[in-house]
Amino acid sequence: MTAFLKPTEAAIASLTLFVPLAYAISAVIAATRTSTRLATVWDRAQLAAGSALALSVLLGLAVATFGEVSLRLVTIVPLGPIGTLSASVRLDSLTAVMLILVSFVGLIILRFSRSYLDGDPQQPHYLRWLMATLAAVTLLVVSDNLLQLVLAWTATSLSLHRLLMFYPERIWAQIAAHKKFLVSRAADLSLLVATALIGAHFGTLELSEILPRAASLGVLPPALQLAALLLVLAAALKCAQLPFHGWLIQVMEAPTPVSALLHAGIINIGGFLMMRMAPFIAQAELAQTLLVICGTTTAVVAALVMTTRVSVKVMLAWSTCAQMGFMLLECGLGAYSLALLHLLGHSLYKAHAFLSAGSTVEQWRRQAQTPVLAAPGYGAWLAAAAGAMLAVVAVGVLFGADPRRESALWALTLIVALALAAPVLSIAAGAWRGFATVAGASVGVAALYFSWHALFGRLLPVPLSAPTDLQLTIAIAGFLLLYLISAAIRAYPQGRLAQRLQPHLFAGLYLDELFTRFTFWIWPARLRQDARGFAAPAIAASRHHAFKQEISS
Amino acid sequence: MILAPIRSATRLEDYEAAVESACARIAPSWPLDQLIAVNPFWGWIEKPMPEAAAELQALQGSRLLMPRAWYREQWRAGRIGAEHLRKAIERSAARCSVDYVTEQFAADEAQPRRTLLTDVVDAGRDTVHKMRWTDFVTQHISQLCASYFDAGQAQLKPNRERGLYAIWRDHAARDYSPALLMALPGFRALAQGLPQDPRALIAQAVRTLAIPREQQESYFTGLLLSINGWAAWCAYLRWQARLAGRDDDHILHLLAIRLAWEWVLYESGGAAYWRAALAQWPEIDAQARTAQASDWLLQEAVENAYQERVAADLVVRPAAQSTELQVQAVFCIDVRSEVFRRALEAASAGVQTLGFAGFFGLFLDYRPLGAADARPQLPGLFAPRLRAADTGVPAATALRRERRLQVHAALKQFKATPVSAFSFVEAIGPLYAGKLAADGLARTRPAEPSERAGLTPDENTLRKPRVIGPTTGGTLSCAQRADAAAGMLRAMSLTRGFARLVVFVGHGSQTANNPLAAGLDCGACCGQTGEVNARAAAALLNEREVRQELRTRGIAIPETTHFLPALHNTTTDEVALFDLDELPPTHCEDVQALQGWLQAAGARTRAARAAKLSLSASNDEETYRSMAQRARDWSQVRPEWGLANCAAFIVAPREHSRHIDLTGRAFLHDYRWQDDTDFSVLELIMTAPMVVTHWINMQYYASSVDNKRWGSGNKVLHNVVGARIGVFEGNGGDLRIGLPMQSLHDGRGFVHEPLRLSVFIEAPRAAMDAVIDKHATVRQLVENGWLHLFQFDPELGTVHRRTRAEWIEFGSATRA
Repeated sequence: MTAFLKPTEAAIASLTLFVPLAYAISAVIAATRTSTRLATVWDRAQLAAGSALALSVLLGLAVATFGEVSLRLVTIVPLGPIGTLSASVRLDSLTAVMLILVSFVGLIILRFSRSYLDGDPQQPHYLRWLMATLAAVTLLVVSDNLLQLVLAWTATSLSLHRLLMFYPERIWAQIAAHKKFLVSRAADLSLLVATALIGAHFGTLELSEILPRAASLGVLPPALQLAALLLVLAAALKCAQLPFHGWLIQVMEAPTPVSALLHAGIINIGGFLMMRMAPFIAQAELAQTLLVICGTTTAVVAALVMTTRVSVKVMLAWSTCAQMGFMLLECGLGAYSLALLHLLGHSLYKAHAFLSAGSTVEQWRRQAQTPVLAAPGYGAWLAAAAGAMLAVVAVGVLFGADPRRESALWALTLIVALALAAPVLSIAAGAWRGFATVAGASVGVAALYFSWHALFGRLLPVPLSAPTDLQLTIAIAGFLLLYLISAAIRAYPQGRLAQRLQPHLFAGLYLDELFTRFTFWIWPARLRQDARGFAAPAIAASRHHAFKQEISS
Repeated sequence: MILAPIRSATRLEDYEAAVESACARIAPSWPLDQLIAVNPFWGWIEKPMPEAAAELQALQGSRLLMPRAWYREQWRAGRIGAEHLRKAIERSAARCSVDYVTEQFAADEAQPRRTLLTDVVDAGRDTVHKMRWTDFVTQHISQLCASYFDAGQAQLKPNRERGLYAIWRDHAARDYSPALLMALPGFRALAQGLPQDPRALIAQAVRTLAIPREQQESYFTGLLLSINGWAAWCAYLRWQARLAGRDDDHILHLLAIRLAWEWVLYESGGAAYWRAALAQWPEIDAQARTAQASDWLLQEAVENAYQERVAADLVVRPAAQSTELQVQAVFCIDVRSEVFRRALEAASAGVQTLGFAGFFGLFLDYRPLGAADARPQLPGLFAPRLRAADTGVPAATALRRERRLQVHAALKQFKATPVSAFSFVEAIGPLYAGKLAADGLARTRPAEPSERAGLTPDENTLRKPRVIGPTTGGTLSCAQRADAAAGMLRAMSLTRGFARLVVFVGHGSQTANNPLAAGLDCGACCGQTGEVNARAAAALLNEREVRQELRTRGIAIPETTHFLPALHNTTTDEVALFDLDELPPTHCEDVQALQGWLQAAGARTRAARAAKLSLSASNDEETYRSMAQRARDWSQVRPEWGLANCAAFIVAPREHSRHIDLTGRAFLHDYRWQDDTDFSVLELIMTAPMVVTHWINMQYYASSVDNKRWGSGNKVLHNVVGARIGVFEGNGGDLRIGLPMQSLHDGRGFVHEPLRLSVFIEAPRAAMDAVIDKHATVRQLVENGWLHLFQFDPELGTVHRRTRAEWIEFGSATRA
C-alpha cells in the first residue's frame, strides 16, 4: 500500500520509472536529430541504454535488500467502478530479472546495430523505434496498474511494427507485418476485455491489490474464469503459438538485430504476463489446462517442423515458437519459476544465436571435418531414454527434489532425461574417452539444471498449484511422442515414417497458409510493389496502369 | 481457347539442343565456404557484351550498365570529358554527337522486358491486395530446392536419390499452399497429371504453350534466369561434375519445374493472354537492342578515361635500380597485394616483389588432419591433381583432434535436436549472458581457419601442410615433384637470379561472423587462405633432391637460397611467417631484417587503407588497433574492402610498374617475355590468370550494375541456406549470388567503380594474337568486349589496343 511506504522505498519505486524514461528520452532525441553527427546520436543512445542497464542492476540489488515495493505515482484517468488508469510501478524480483534482461540484451543489440547498419540512410529512424520499443517494453515490465500494462503492451507492438517494416518496400515484410498487426490487435482486445472484467470484480486495477486477493479467492466466478482465459489467449497470440505463428517465422525481412530483439525480448511478454498474473491464473484450472494444451502442441509440432527448415534464421524462428510453447506449458503446470528460468535462458541464448547467425558457415566447415560415427538404431534410442531417466532421477534425488510435492517438476525432469539421450547416443559408437566426456557433461548439465531451478525457485516464489492429472498426462504424452517420432527420424531418416512426415512438416502442416488466407479474407493487406517495374504487356497495360495509380494515390 | 501448336513437333529430341544451350547460359556459383568470384555472364561471352546485355534486358529486365544518373555524375564531376566520349563514339560504329549522348542523361532508361506466364497472370491480378505469382513461384521453387540440396541445416530431408523433379512433383501433388494462398484449388490435380519424366514435361509444355522453335532457347533461358540463384547452384554442380569427368542434370530438372509452373498457369487462366504476349517478344527484343546504345558509349568513355591514365604511366621508363637483392617476395596477383608490395619495396631497396596467382602453381586439394574429405585449394577453372595434408603431427594428436571434434558435435546435438532444445535452454541458456557480453565487446577472437579447430595452439604449431602425393593416392617420385616445382617456377618467371630468401606470400582475410568470409580469402585458392599452398610450395623447393633434379632441367637454385612461406592478412596487413623452425641458421639475420620491413610495409599499407574505411586514427598503433577490432567485430559488415574497385591487370616485369601508384586497382602478374621462348607461359597467363581476374572484375561489375539480380542485396538481411549453399535475402525468395551492397557501396556512393577489366601485357603482339587465335575463350573475351586488351612496350614507349580485328595505337599514350 502506497500510504505506508518508507521514504527509501518510495524513492526506489520512483527510480524504477527512470528505466523506461531513459529509453524514451533517447527515442525522442534520435527522432529530433537535425544537424547532430550520426556518431553522436549513437553515442547518446548507448549512454541511455548503458544507464538503463546500470539502473536495472541497482534496482535488482535494491529488491534483494529491501524486498518488493509498489507505488502509485499519479492517477491519470479515473474509470469509475473498475478503478483508475494510473502511473504505478511495481518492483519485485520478477520486475528486476526482466529489467536486467531487457536492458542487457537491449544494450548488446544497440551496440551490434551500430556497425551493422553503418551506411544505411535510415539509421535515426531505426534508433528512434528501437529505443521506443525498449521504453515500451520496460514500462510494461514495471507496471503495477493493469491498464498501464495493457497500454505499454500495445505501444511495444506498435513501435516494433516500425522496426519490422524497416524496409517497407519488401513484400514479405509487408505480409508478415500485416499478419502480426492483426494478431497483436486481437491480443490487445482480449487483454483489454480481461482488464475490464478483472477491474469490475475487484474494483481496482492495481496489481498490488488484485493479486493478493486473487490468491485467496478459491473458486473463481465465471467472469474471472473468462478473464483468465482471455489472458491466456493474449499470451498465446503474443507468443506466436500455433496457428498464430506465421508472422514470427516470416519477420526475417528486418535487419538481424531486430530479429534478435523480437526473439529475445518482445516475444517473451506473453510469458511475462502469465508470470505477473500467476497468483490469479493459478486459480483458474481451465485457463491452466488451455495453456498446457496450447503449449504442448506448439512445442511438439514446432520442434518437429524445425528439423525440416533449410535456412538458419527460419530454423531459429521455429525454435523460438517451440520454446515459447514450452514456457507456456510450464506456466500451465504451475511451474512459474521454471518458466522464468526458461524465459531468461532462452532470451540470452536466442539473442546470441541470431546475432551470430553469420557464423553458420564456419560451424559447417568444422562439422565437415568431423569424422562421422555410426548412427544408433531405434532400440538404442529406447534404451538410452530409460538410462538417462534413471540418471536424472538420481541427480534429482541428490538435490532433494521431492516428487510428491512437486509433480510438475518431475514431468519436466522427465523431459530433461529425454533431452540427454541424443548427445550421449550420438557419440556412443566413438572412442570411450569421447563418450565419457559427453556422458559426464550430460550429468553436469542435469546438475546445472537443478541448481538453476533451486535458485529461481527462490527468485519467484509463486504458490505452486499442483497440476491436475489431465494436465500432466498431456504434457508427458506430448513429449514422449515427440521423442519417439524424432528418434524414428534419426534412426531411419529415409524410412517410411520420416519420408511420409517430411512433406507435411516441411509445409508446416499448412497452418500458416490457412491463417494467412484467413487474415487476407478478413482484412486484405495493401501490398506496395517495389520499384523494379517492367513494361507490362499491352493486353493488361491499362489495368496495370490503374494499379499503379492506385499505389501512388 | 487452347491454340493449336504452330509446329506439331512432339519428339523431345527437338528441344534438347535448346535446353542444352539455355542451361549453358547459366554461370556456376560456388558455395559459401568456397566463395570464389565468377563472371555471371560466362555463358554469354560468345556474344559481344552489348548484345548479350540487350538479350538479358529483354529476358529478365537486367540492365548491365549503371543508371544514367551515375554517368551524368561522372560527366559533371569531370571524370569523363568530351574527348573521352568522342573517342568512344569514333571507336563504335555509332553515328551520333557528344551532345546527343549527354542529352540522353535526362531521359529515363527504357526497360523493355519480355513476359513469362507468371507475369501475364500477374498483369491481370490485383497485386495490391494479393501476392504476385512471380513471387510465389520463386518462393515455392526456392524452398524446395533448398530442402533438396541442403546437406547441413535440416535434419529431415527428402530422399535425394529420386531426383529433383520427381521430389518436386510429389510435393506439388499434395501441396495445398497454391490453393490456400493463391486461390488455385486445381493445383494438386494439375500437378498429379504432370509427366513423371522432366524431359517429357519439357516436351509437353513446349507443345502446349506453342513456343516457336527459334524462341525456345531464349524462353528456356528466361525461365532459368527467373530462378537464377538456384540455376547457378545447379550449374555449379554440373561444373564440378564435368571437372571430375562426370555430368549432372539438376539444371534440366530445375528448368522442367519452372516450366511446369508455366504450364500450370497456362492451364489455369493464362492461356487467354499468352498468344498476345508471345507475339510481343520480337518487338521487345528490338527495343532492348537499341535502348542502351548511348549508355554503352558512356561506359566506354569512363573506361577510356581510366585506361589513359594507366597507359600514360606505364610508358614512362623508370630509372634502373641496382641494389643488392636480398629478398624476393612472391605475392598473389590480388589487387590488395599491389598496395602492400609498393609499401614493402619502399621499406627496403633490397626487396624485389613478384606477382603470381596465390596458389603458386600447385594444383592442390587439402585434407585437414583427421578429416575424411579434401577441399580444393586451386582456381575453380581446374581440377586438383596433387593432395596436400597435415604432416608432422603424431598419430595420437590426430586421434585426439577427431575425438574433440566428435565431442563438440555431440554436445551440439543438445541444442539442435527437437527434444533436447528445451532443456538446453534452461540449463545452458543463462550462461549465454557471458557469451553475449564477450562478443558484444568484441573480446572474441575472429574466426580461425577450420583446420585449427580441435587443436591446441601447441599442437597446431606441429602441423605442416605438405604435398603428400597425387589426389588418386600413392606417392610422388622425385622426378614428379621436380616437375611440379619446375612448372611453378617457370610460370612465375622465376628461373634465375634467386635471392638468399624467396618468400611465398599467400593471403587471407580475418573476419568474424561473416557468412561471406571466403569471398575475401584467396580466389586462386578456391576461397581459402593461401597458407597451405605457400607452405607446401616452399617446402617442395627446399627439398635437396628436388633441387638436384631441377638443376638437370636448367633451373639452378643456389645452395644459399631458402624458400619461406608467409601469409598476408588483408584485414590488418600483418604478415605471418611459417615454418621458421626449418630455417637454416645462416638465414636468421635475413629473416630478422625482413620482419622489420614487413612491419614498416604493414604500417604504410594500413595508412593508405585507413582513409577508405573512414578510420580517423592519428598513428599506426591506433590504426592497427581499429583494424584488428574490425576483424574481431561480429557486427562488422565491412571488415575490409576486398577487391573493390579492381580495374586493371598488368602482365609485365615488376620493374615496369614499380614506379606507379596503382591505388590498389590493379592485378599484377610478373612476366618476362624474353625468357618465354615458345610463349607457353604467355598462353598460360592469358588462359588462366587473365580469366580469373576477369571473373573477379566482372563479378564486381555485375553486382554493382544490377545488385538485385547479380548481387546478394542487403547484407543485414542475409540468411544462410543449407549451412553453406548460399544466402537468402530475408525470409526466402531466390538463392542470391554475387556480392552484397555493403561490399560495393559505403552508404554515400559506390566504392567500386564498375569498369571492365583493362589488361596490359608486355609481350609481342603477334604472340598474343597466336594465343587469341588458338583459344576460343580468350578470343571471345577480347573481341566481344568483355575485357579490354592492351599491349605495351616501355622501350618504345607505345601502347596498342586490341580491337575486334587488329591492333591500333592507343591515343594519348604518347602524352608522357
